[in-house]
Amino acid sequence: MEEITSGKSKTIIEVIDSGPLKISGNFILKDLKRVKETPMGEVLLCRCGKSSDKPFCDGSHKIK
Amino acid sequence: MSLDPSFSGGRKYSNDEITVYWKPSACIHASYCYRELIEVFDPGRRPWVDMKGATTEKIIETINLCPTEALTWKWNDEAKNQSVGIDQSNHIRFRRPELLAQKSNVPEENPITVKIMIDGPIVLKGDFSLVYSGINKDFKEGIVSICRCGASDHQPFCDGQHRKIGFTG
Repeated sequence: MEEITSGKSKTIIEVIDSGPLKISGNFILKDLKRVKETPMGEVLLCRCGKSSDKPFCDGSHKIK
Repeated sequence: MSLDPSFSGGRKYSNDEITVYWKPSACIHASYCYRELIEVFDPGRRPWVDMKGATTEKIIETINLCPTEALTWKWNDEAKNQSVGIDQSNHIRFRRPELLAQKSNVPEENPITVKIMIDGPIVLKGDFSLVYSGINKDFKEGIVSICRCGASDHQPFCDGQHRKIGFTG
């Protein structure tokens, strides 16, 4: 694992092509519809609308 | 309803007590307004804001939920605007210093907040880097909404399509 030299944690949001939204770093997840705990470190959020584990990605976007 | 020369690109709506400012370019389709008060804020109606649809108190309460400055408001009685507190988060004094010269400090958020809107987008707020289609963009106290229904024409961003397709989730 690499050291973060700046000393400041940076939250990275990555839009994966034809896939979910990847959030890594320092974040708080607030789901206004469901009671979900904020996962530690990294999370994959559904962007296709088909996941049966919303708001998380469950790989449903790959099924045609 | 009329255009305000001091407020380009937007519209304003008034009742006897308050004026509501609508700035479409700032809207991220978080959808608090119509979910909370469809009687006043109905995206399917023209004009979409009906100031007669609810009490002033309820309209103010709903506008204060808007996470951006797409909806802001002020009292028509200028004297009353001077004593408005930060709890009235979407009063133009706090959101639009250019409309009413008065500065305020909105508290910084770190860590960032990732809000999953009911039947709507993911709303990201704070300091973060957004990576998409080979672009890496840094946001400082930024606010961005990401499509969650898959139907947006402006991927990866929300453009309000979730409401048209009746997305639930």
